[in-house]
Amino acid sequence: MIEATNLSKTFVGVPGQPKRKVVAVESVSFTANDGRITGLLGPNGAGKSTTLRMLATLIKPDTGNATIDGHSVTTDVLAVRQHLGFMPHNAGIYPRLTTRENIRYYARLCGMDAAATETRVNELIELLDMGKFADRRCAGFSQGQKTKVALARALVHRPQTILLDEPTNGLDVMATRGLREIIRQLANEGHCIVFSSHIMQEVAALCDEIAIISDGNISMTGSLETLLSATDQQSLEDAFVVAIGGEL
Amino acid sequence: MVLVMLWKEIIDNLRDRQTVFYALLFGPVLLPLLIGGGLVASLKQATVSFDEPSPLAVSFSERAPNLMRFLQSNNMDVETAPDDIEASVRRGDVAVVLEVPDDFETALRSGTPAPLIIHVNDSDKHSSKEARKLHTLLNAYSQTINALRMQHRGIDPSVFNSINVRLQDVSSNGFRGQLLASILPFLLIVAMVMGGFYLAIDTTAGERERQSLEPLLSLPMSRYKLVLGKYLAVLTFVGLSSILTAISLYLVFRFLSPEAAGGVISFDGPTIRTAWLLASPLIFFISAVLMTVAASTQSTKEAQTYLGLLMVFPMAPFFILQFVNIKSANLTMALPMLSQYQLLERVVLQDNISTTHIILSVTGTLIATALLYLAAVKLYSREKIL
Repeated sequence: MIEATNLSKTFVGVPGQPKRKVVAVESVSFTANDGRITGLLGPNGAGKSTTLRMLATLIKPDTGNATIDGHSVTTDVLAVRQHLGFMPHNAGIYPRLTTRENIRYYARLCGMDAAATETRVNELIELLDMGKFADRRCAGFSQGQKTKVALARALVHRPQTILLDEPTNGLDVMATRGLREIIRQLANEGHCIVFSSHIMQEVAALCDEIAIISDGNISMTGSLETLLSATDQQSLEDAFVVAIGGEL
Repeated sequence: MVLVMLWKEIIDNLRDRQTVFYALLFGPVLLPLLIGGGLVASLKQATVSFDEPSPLAVSFSERAPNLMRFLQSNNMDVETAPDDIEASVRRGDVAVVLEVPDDFETALRSGTPAPLIIHVNDSDKHSSKEARKLHTLLNAYSQTINALRMQHRGIDPSVFNSINVRLQDVSSNGFRGQLLASILPFLLIVAMVMGGFYLAIDTTAGERERQSLEPLLSLPMSRYKLVLGKYLAVLTFVGLSSILTAISLYLVFRFLSPEAAGGVISFDGPTIRTAWLLASPLIFFISAVLMTVAASTQSTKEAQTYLGLLMVFPMAPFFILQFVNIKSANLTMALPMLSQYQLLERVVLQDNISTTHIILSVTGTLIATALLYLAAVKLYSREKIL
């Protein structure tokens, strides 16, 4: 479970302008419950990735705080990481290692022993249907294969909470559908899943809860139905435009 | 956890041809072979050995039987020269040809200077070296005859030697020895840098560029352990590279006789072992330098640029010590690289090394390493690392 309150983050310095300040996240508060899929929906540059990075303890919030399964992201960093599986928006897998070696590496880094690692790696290979490329080096994998490997790595230490940053980026229809099924299955098993995306259909099809984020602020939260009735719209896309203050 | 990282980085990088080539082949094998081997070969060529028998083509040797006996007793195997002397020397069929003109015998008998001709191809190193050797022998022969003639006339031959100049070199070695002595630390340090170069870039800037750093940093492990794992991986390659270099240097210099190296200089097994031990703190230091610099850059390209510039550093002491005679003060002995250069040179020249200097060198280098390591941990704790 995630409880974020008033998270904010300002970066100093952009390429070419070392002193310019950029407010990436102004004030983000939301709750994501276990067994639910929470979608973080927002246009590019809205602050989705920064928010997820703060939750994943990669960067410290300037103000506010968040807890993951009761552990604070600012003070209890290692416990948070133990409870968290984070998949960034680029797979970031090692091209010279095989699928199995990539997953095994993360398992061992998380402190799992050799026997437990092998069992878990085999489990994940089966769960994500990676048998065909389990022992191939990852260089030259398709985007879908890369995403699966990255997802397996994020899940390897059985984290309760899972953060997925634009996981369907670059995936074809079938791969997207496959990934959706897996995410749904994980939620049914009781995991708390936060899923960021800028694709409306994606979020509408999958998420139980939606948090609309724009310009570093959460402008609206709730289930799809709640959002539609609050904005008096028929589709999520229209509701989204209204929620972020745009004109239809 | 740290060992898991170490193992992964080693396996991962052994699969990268570029890393393997530079770390295990270029630095440790090719460089010593090219530089060390080249040096050994050129020294061998420049060194005239009077002990080894060598063939000498002589034209009309029957005109000077005594000279032939003298040459033969000085390890020259006299052979008959081919007919077209000039062409065969130019072609390199024979190195030099000694021609005895027909008036040699008469001139010698009458006490006038007896002519001898050496046919040499000066553009050929081997030919000119053989000519030098022959010239020296002929001078010696000439002096022997002079002495005999004077004694025959009742004059002490030493009357004509009014001054006897002796050149006494107080260094335990000549310039040649000095150059050879500095080649050992030079090659060893360059190989260390080469050994860790690509690995350091790959595990830091490369990891960031592949975007695998972000998920890695979100794992439940401290930054301190993460840096340690990466550091040990670089350390392994640097260490391996230095050991391989020591071995190939030993093999290369086995072909070099002590005389060719300018006297008291040694490249035998124990010497190279001691030299490696004295240089070993640099394995830690250079690994730390490589990793810290690579971690402070934003991309592999930037890392390559900075580390490429850094490659000048191992060469700097080499050139400084060539031109400036630095007294081995305690201060320079505490400086990483510079101290090892001096210590290693002394090992090769078989000079005495004080324990204080060894302690200073090791301590100074390890302190610098610790500081760099802390800097690397700090760099990895920055948010900008992503």
